[in-house]
Amino acid sequence: MGIRLYKKPEVENPVLIAGWPGIGNIGIIAVDTLRGMVRAEEFGEIESWDFFYPKKVSIRNGELKDLEFPSNKFYFVKTEKKDLIFFIGEEQPTEGGKVYAEGTKAYQMANLVLDLALKFGCRRVYTSGAAVAPIHHTARPKVWAVPNSQDLIDEIKSYENTVLMSDIEGRGGQGAITGLNGLLLGVAKKRGLEAICVMGEIPVYLQGFPLAYPKASKSVLEVLTVTLGIKIDMQGIAALVERSESEIERLFERFPPEIREELNKLIYVTYAESTESGPITDEDKKRILEDIDKFFKKESKED
Amino acid sequence: MSEKQPFRIYEKPELQSSSLVVGWSEDAGKLGPKVIDYLNKKLGGKEFAEIEPADFFSLGGVSVEGDVAQFPESKFYWCQQKNLVVLQSYSPRSDWHRFLGAVLDVAELYCHVKELYTIGGMVSLSAHTAPRELLAVANSPAMKEVLSQYDIARDFDYETPPGQRPTLSSFLLWVAKMRNMAGASLWVPVPFYLVSTEDPQAWRITVEFLDQRFGLGIDFRDLDEEVARQNEKIAQVRIRFPEIDDYIRKLETNLGVTQEENEKLVKEIEEFLRKRD
Repeated sequence: MGIRLYKKPEVENPVLIAGWPGIGNIGIIAVDTLRGMVRAEEFGEIESWDFFYPKKVSIRNGELKDLEFPSNKFYFVKTEKKDLIFFIGEEQPTEGGKVYAEGTKAYQMANLVLDLALKFGCRRVYTSGAAVAPIHHTARPKVWAVPNSQDLIDEIKSYENTVLMSDIEGRGGQGAITGLNGLLLGVAKKRGLEAICVMGEIPVYLQGFPLAYPKASKSVLEVLTVTLGIKIDMQGIAALVERSESEIERLFERFPPEIREELNKLIYVTYAESTESGPITDEDKKRILEDIDKFFKKESKED
Repeated sequence: MSEKQPFRIYEKPELQSSSLVVGWSEDAGKLGPKVIDYLNKKLGGKEFAEIEPADFFSLGGVSVEGDVAQFPESKFYWCQQKNLVVLQSYSPRSDWHRFLGAVLDVAELYCHVKELYTIGGMVSLSAHTAPRELLAVANSPAMKEVLSQYDIARDFDYETPPGQRPTLSSFLLWVAKMRNMAGASLWVPVPFYLVSTEDPQAWRITVEFLDQRFGLGIDFRDLDEEVARQNEKIAQVRIRFPEIDDYIRKLETNLGVTQEENEKLVKEIEEFLRKRD
């Protein structure tokens, strides 16, 4: 069990940015888009067989030639302002059929990722995922940011279109980040690294569909690029968002009219930084969210 | 993670250059468990080791199948006279690589195993009356050469289709390959309507190969009787239910059946065979 390096990158105080698949693939699309745009070069991988079940067997002429496992690769790039190391995992290590990383294997993987980060002098880690929120799909997703240290709060407050847990109504600064996005934050804290998880919002009614939600990835990317001082061409992800919007609109049109009507009320729901009242009352908002919840529970039973 | 070995050895078998046959407990047509039980019975297999389940299975209670509580077991048996080791095991639910490594550790360290064979049933759309051929996948050119002495299909290409995952047998074969242990996975087609019940014909084809490969000297009369009994039962279903006979006839003439016919065939055959067992 370990890391295999193909080369030793010459990097100085690099920032680690990690991404895995999750709800709407928000984190991994953001991180992988950034990796592609800055042309980061692959330089190593975590040996996957100790963590994952294989994904593909190749048999040629009756002989087993290869067994492919989900990839877990490291990339690096030197940009004008910062050196970056990327970690992209194709799957999260799970135990006992759970969806997100949990348990010994997940902890081991988080430590392996950070072993490499520390080996190259990294002091700052970003992870990225999804924040399920009562928003409408036509809204610009905000980014929820969770640091692993109080010292990072002021920095996060300076990020554009970003909220802290304490900005979110009813949460009182509390919450949970499932899977490796959260675990890496905790393990980084334990090992003395600064870490921030940036999560793009996905509408509550889309979280159960097997759809990517690049609109939220774009919000995450906007935050990451500013924070890292990198300029990238957003046209690629904007095109992806456009295609996804059409797909979501088509899906939305298939919802029963009464549900669409309820969901459309989310356009007026403000739940974060609620300094002023929206055009609907708190009572309305509560009922809308309960109705939506009931509808999707019913749908999943019918599937 | 604890470095403690995840297996228990009760006695050290006296074997040299032996072979290991692995059958999985959850298998199409009950092929794995039935063939392993049969080998143990015929060859006087003696249990000598097991893999502890705690690291590999979710142990929050037990599942119940056929009215009986099940527990994930992974037990090794040895047959001294035939220089053979057999393993019957449930498929682990996590930490697969470590589990398979433990299988090969027991085989290599305690039994000096040089060759590995996994057995398994694969779902077939053909009728039970169609001729069936054993398929084999080798993990090295040398093993392929060994298999060429037998009448089995061994020259095909395959890649896991999107959305599916390789079998645990393929994973084990790969782990063996990484350790330079010769291995082959053996596959017998099991008609889709016998997948959840029993398929003695598939058991016989598998045992026949193992008998030839290891010179086991097996008397097949009991298996032949079992095959005949099963065929007779299915013949009775065909007489009693002309619709079922029609579906099987379609399969026999390579016409195929619709999804609805497929489901009905599975349901009727399974119900009938269970009632008569």
